[in-house]
Amino acid sequence: MASICSVLPALLCKFPAIDESAIRLARKTVDDGFRAFVRANGWIDNLVQPLQWFLNYLESLFVGSPWIVILVAMVAIVYFGSRNINVTIGTALSMIAIGLVGLWNDTMVTLAMVTVCTLISVVVGIPIGILMARSDRVQAFVNPILDVMQTMPSFVYLIPVVMIFGIGKVPGLIAVVIYAVPPMIRLTNLGIRLVDKEVLEAADAFGSSTWQKLKNVQMPLALPTMMAGINQTIMMSLAMVVVASMIGVGGLGKNVLQAINNQFFTVGFLNGFALVGIAIIFDRTSQAFGKRLQKHSEVIHG
Amino acid sequence: MKKLLASTILAAGLYAMAGSAQAAECGEVSIAEMNWASAGVAAQVDKFILENGYGCTVTLVTGDTMPTFASMNEKAQPDMAPELWVNAVRTPLDAAVKEGRLIEAAKILSEGGVEGWWIPKFLADAHPDIKTVQDALKHPELFPAPEDSSKAAVHNCPSGWNCQVSTANLYRALNAEKDGFLLVDTGSAAGLDGSIANAFEKKTGWLGYYWAPTAILGKYEMTRLSFGVDHDKADWDACTAVPDCPNPKVNSYPVSDVFTVVTKSFSEKAGVAMDYVKARKWDNGTVNKVLAWMDQNQGTNEDGAKHFLAEFPDMWTQWVSPEVAEKVKAAL
Repeated sequence: MASICSVLPALLCKFPAIDESAIRLARKTVDDGFRAFVRANGWIDNLVQPLQWFLNYLESLFVGSPWIVILVAMVAIVYFGSRNINVTIGTALSMIAIGLVGLWNDTMVTLAMVTVCTLISVVVGIPIGILMARSDRVQAFVNPILDVMQTMPSFVYLIPVVMIFGIGKVPGLIAVVIYAVPPMIRLTNLGIRLVDKEVLEAADAFGSSTWQKLKNVQMPLALPTMMAGINQTIMMSLAMVVVASMIGVGGLGKNVLQAINNQFFTVGFLNGFALVGIAIIFDRTSQAFGKRLQKHSEVIHG
Repeated sequence: MKKLLASTILAAGLYAMAGSAQAAECGEVSIAEMNWASAGVAAQVDKFILENGYGCTVTLVTGDTMPTFASMNEKAQPDMAPELWVNAVRTPLDAAVKEGRLIEAAKILSEGGVEGWWIPKFLADAHPDIKTVQDALKHPELFPAPEDSSKAAVHNCPSGWNCQVSTANLYRALNAEKDGFLLVDTGSAAGLDGSIANAFEKKTGWLGYYWAPTAILGKYEMTRLSFGVDHDKADWDACTAVPDCPNPKVNSYPVSDVFTVVTKSFSEKAGVAMDYVKARKWDNGTVNKVLAWMDQNQGTNEDGAKHFLAEFPDMWTQWVSPEVAEKVKAAL
């Protein structure tokens, strides 16, 4: 390759880049502007303070309660959610195994974090998904943003988030939600768009209002797809919790990070499997719950 | 096969626009570019000098103390770690040196690395009574914890680093918990740096572990607090550096030895450059200057290395022979 360049003019061989000093100046300007923004906006901290309290409260609730109470509550939630004895037994066994290898407290910290992240992702994601489904223009606008959210390396926005909020659970939560909310939005949008035109025409013929159509026709029919979205969101939250530990979120992620830095294979795998365990519990329960909702509304899809 | 290999190396040498006679003497070497600034610049300086001065073909591999050392020790890859803080890997490193797998070359940071607990300088100026760590612990109101401002915080070093153990033990030895201080895990180097940046931009207090030479200390002025005692090596090795040691005592951080470490295969492949890696060392003042320049000018590690080679020729020309120095200067 080098030989071709010796005969061609330099312009064609070396891409004509903008002058380095100009790029440097631009970078400096943006960075200084960002710093000034951080300095001037102390109110952002106060804005997220309730969130911080809620996260702290939930974590101390999970960690501080006797393990037996948490275990019974979890098994009960799983059973009434899934009504499936196998999933329930599996949950009890995996939580007992986690406790036996001494990861109970770390798992509780992670569980609290993932619960909040998932809830926020669902609460934020569903309305945006509905808006996208109602308007092609909104969809065209939001889709590229979702692409950026899913592909931008998380380390890129971890640092600005830390500069604004400091380290800990709130910046971790923001990082996790950015990563985990796109599937919720996309699949809500997709589910509603896939609802049969004829069904909607029928609803129109009966004189349904827009709200009634959404609540009684579109949402129930889109439910299986939306449940898949919730599922994906949970999985992505769990995956991202490990990365969030890089900015001071405790729990299993912290142990994983420590294990990576010290080449402790066993510790890494134990913590990894604890995460897998939680993921499977969440996944099976939410899937079974979604199926039951379908049965309940007597919709046979597909 | 041998012919093919020779011609490949020759081609690589030509490609690097270096003398082909040199290319036959220096093969392909990989250098660990550690993920903190001073080591990153060192790796780029080495790359520049080895490529242009000795005609090696250099690839940079991203690294971190523990993983890089383990990989060098087990698989002899990468060939060279320019800035390895050996305190963290003392025992396995000594064994590897004895068995001839690894070679300790220059003590790259001639003054050693400085570790300790630091506070922002603006806080030290405002409270001249805070000279030691014990003084700082009397003022929990000055160091709000990131997640709960009613408590105070000592920021620990990143997860999995050696200093995490020693900082935690010192925190217990000082009984800081009773003063209302939490030991906050920062998670990673980025988290630790971010928490310092956040404290400086908001002008709040910050207390925690840090080390020099680093870009952060070039950017934000910080004051190192004394522990009020001298470094007791015996107790440090027996307890402070041991996880969950039963009865930690207050101790000062040792000055860290920071060496360039190369594999045996590096000395075989790049024998011509061995003198260079044995001679190369710089002082913290120089490194801080280069890092501060990088920070002001948003320079990359590579920019920093070029800046160093352009601005400090008196220093680096002593590391290499005059012929090599000429070649490097020509390439700048």
